[in-house]
Amino acid sequence: MKITHEIKESTIVITLDGELDASSSVILDEELSDPEIMKYSKILVNCQNLHYISSAGLGVFISHLQRFEDAQIKLIFFNMQDKVRNVFEILGLDLLMTIVSNYEEALTIADE
Amino acid sequence: MLYKTNAKSLFVTTAIISWVLLLSNILLAAESARQAGAPKWALPYFNNLLTVVFILSVFLYQRLSADNLKGIDFIGYLWNLFSKAGTAAYLSIAIFLGYRLSTGYANLQSPLLLHIVYQVNFGLLVLFLAKAFYIWRQLLLYHKNKFLQIAWDWFELLLFATLLLTLLNFNYTSYIFLPLLALMGCYILFLCTNLKWVAYLTFSKKSRSLVLLGAILLSCYIFMRFFYQFADSPELVIDYTDVGFLLLAMLFVGFYTLAAFLVSLFSLPTSSVFEQKSEDLLNFQRLSQSIQQGQSEKQVYDMLFESTIRASDANAAWFELIRNGEPQITHLLNINNEQIVRIRHLLLAYNIHNIDYINNNLDRNPGFRDLTLPWKALIILPIKSKKHLFGMLYLLKDIEQGFDRETTNVLRTFTSQTILTIENLRLVAESLQNERYKEELKIASTVQENLIPKTFPSDNWFEISTHALAAKEVGGDFYDFLQLSESRIAIIIGDVSGKGISAAFHMAQMKGIFHGLMQQDMPPSEFMKQANSALSRCLEKTSFITSALYIIDYRMKGFMFARAGHCHTLYYNSMTDETFYFQTDGLGLGIIRDKSYNNHVKEMYYDYNPGDVMVIYTDGIVEARNMANEEYTEERLKYMLTQTYHLEAEDIKCAIINDLQDFTGPDNLYDDQTLLVIKFKPTQPNP
Repeated sequence: MKITHEIKESTIVITLDGELDASSSVILDEELSDPEIMKYSKILVNCQNLHYISSAGLGVFISHLQRFEDAQIKLIFFNMQDKVRNVFEILGLDLLMTIVSNYEEALTIADE
Repeated sequence: MLYKTNAKSLFVTTAIISWVLLLSNILLAAESARQAGAPKWALPYFNNLLTVVFILSVFLYQRLSADNLKGIDFIGYLWNLFSKAGTAAYLSIAIFLGYRLSTGYANLQSPLLLHIVYQVNFGLLVLFLAKAFYIWRQLLLYHKNKFLQIAWDWFELLLFATLLLTLLNFNYTSYIFLPLLALMGCYILFLCTNLKWVAYLTFSKKSRSLVLLGAILLSCYIFMRFFYQFADSPELVIDYTDVGFLLLAMLFVGFYTLAAFLVSLFSLPTSSVFEQKSEDLLNFQRLSQSIQQGQSEKQVYDMLFESTIRASDANAAWFELIRNGEPQITHLLNINNEQIVRIRHLLLAYNIHNIDYINNNLDRNPGFRDLTLPWKALIILPIKSKKHLFGMLYLLKDIEQGFDRETTNVLRTFTSQTILTIENLRLVAESLQNERYKEELKIASTVQENLIPKTFPSDNWFEISTHALAAKEVGGDFYDFLQLSESRIAIIIGDVSGKGISAAFHMAQMKGIFHGLMQQDMPPSEFMKQANSALSRCLEKTSFITSALYIIDYRMKGFMFARAGHCHTLYYNSMTDETFYFQTDGLGLGIIRDKSYNNHVKEMYYDYNPGDVMVIYTDGIVEARNMANEEYTEERLKYMLTQTYHLEAEDIKCAIINDLQDFTGPDNLYDDQTLLVIKFKPTQPNP
């Protein structure tokens, strides 16, 4: 798992590369727990190369969901593979989180 | 002990009595010598006897009071020797000067007073010699061997034997005894070579001991001078230089003090080397003991940093800990971050970072010269095992050739010892962790096993077949049932996120919630809402549970179900001959922890026909992977049911599981696999 981020003004784009399992979700949790991240109003998660997400990985997003919502930070997933999207959908997360097909769409929604 | 105390007081009494008797006898003799006419009271044998008794009792008293060496506080012994014995000489010289002054001032000759002074000084001399003799014995026998012990015992015996000469009033300077005396002198010289204790003195202690030894030497000189001044004096009736024992004892004390003084003096320049060596040894020992003492890695690095700086006498140093491949400066000495950055840049440019590197003349290298650093030598020591780089140690010195071969060897020994220690610390921690983890898994799997029902109710209107396989690592699947009434049965399946003991604990909670809530017989969606509210209070933030609850009513020939984030239910409808998944919405439990969850769960009612098949499973089935890392998928599961729906529930289950195992291959289990196959049968139950 490789986690990188790119900052553009008030937007942070986090790119997930590989499999988000129990061990790598710890790194993601560290990244999302960083108080610095609350500076941004939009968090876009690029899932293009995310091949697998375990329940631990989902748990990390779930645990930060409420915090971001309270701080009015938009959390948007884009470029998600069908397999991963299916996992989100089965769990019912697609109704709670914003999942869009590409970066441009993510930017449009984020700017709304 | 009592014997010792008694003996001591006996010796003290004897010493005092013999001394007083000796004094009075001498005074009597002197008085009679002055009055030339009076009869001579010369009793040399009596005087000699008293002298010998006095000397013996003082020496034996000191012999008894000498304790065994405690520790290596040699300065303490020297100070003891000086303060208790050496001062006697200064006292004696003060008394003598006092006598000289008073007689000079009053301008009178008082042989009696002179005799008293001489006698007092004799007492002080014996005290000094006895004390010094036995303190030197302790130091001389430090680290003794058997030979030395025997040599010493003989010396002591021979020395005391010379008292016989005095007792029998032989003149030891006669030709017969002189060679023997010379032999004794050689013996003393031989004994004086045993000065092992000096090596244990540090530089500062040696300097202090030099002062003390000098003062003791001066004491010896004062006594010698005093007594030889009065040798063969016509004014005195007695001459203690005739006592051979005193001469020999003085020779021994004097020579030994001189030897100690000279050895200390000449070993002064080299003592720092020995100090360093013994400190290095001590530090090695501390490093290797840090595992037993349960010290942390940080403490080990602290020790390494301090020890290497001291061992190499470095002027500046820093230590980098490698964490996740990134160096992190944890220790600094006399260097600032900016200088470190510059040096690292240069090393990176030369491509010599993170390797063993010595540069003993930085000025010769243009790159380093441009940095204008105040140092002239650099050594880089990686703390590196075969597999892992733990950290980098950089030492700097402000002289050229600062890191010679000897120093480098010591430094390398330190680093390799550190690597060993760190690796061992990690191994110990790992094995403890593993042990605990294994224990946890054992408990978890026992709990899990006990939570899953062993038997299902069998009835003639449906068949049920179950399969449950717990993975070693990930766990948290569960299922259960509850007979609600004669015609209704509730079946629950679920998957707890997380693993080990906490997953097992949440499973137990879920089972409790299921049995507790379903006693009140509520619809599945209501159950999910209440379960969510109950779990919200106890589930940790990153955990959630997926679940699905089915209530089957055979009298109504239908079932109600709700899904909370759990895998879609696979269904075969025998009327339409269709195989499909129920596509219902439903959010997992513990994801939203307030009332708004109520909007996220849906309920569905479905009428079943005889011959319908329902397949309930966990994600361990559809997400099972083969060697090529492909998933089993819902499609393949669905396809399997289209091929097997006509079979009995047990056979459908076996077919699916066999296909799954063919797909994944052996020993390829990452997640718990749970599969329930329910087949509704046409026959009605007996009334």
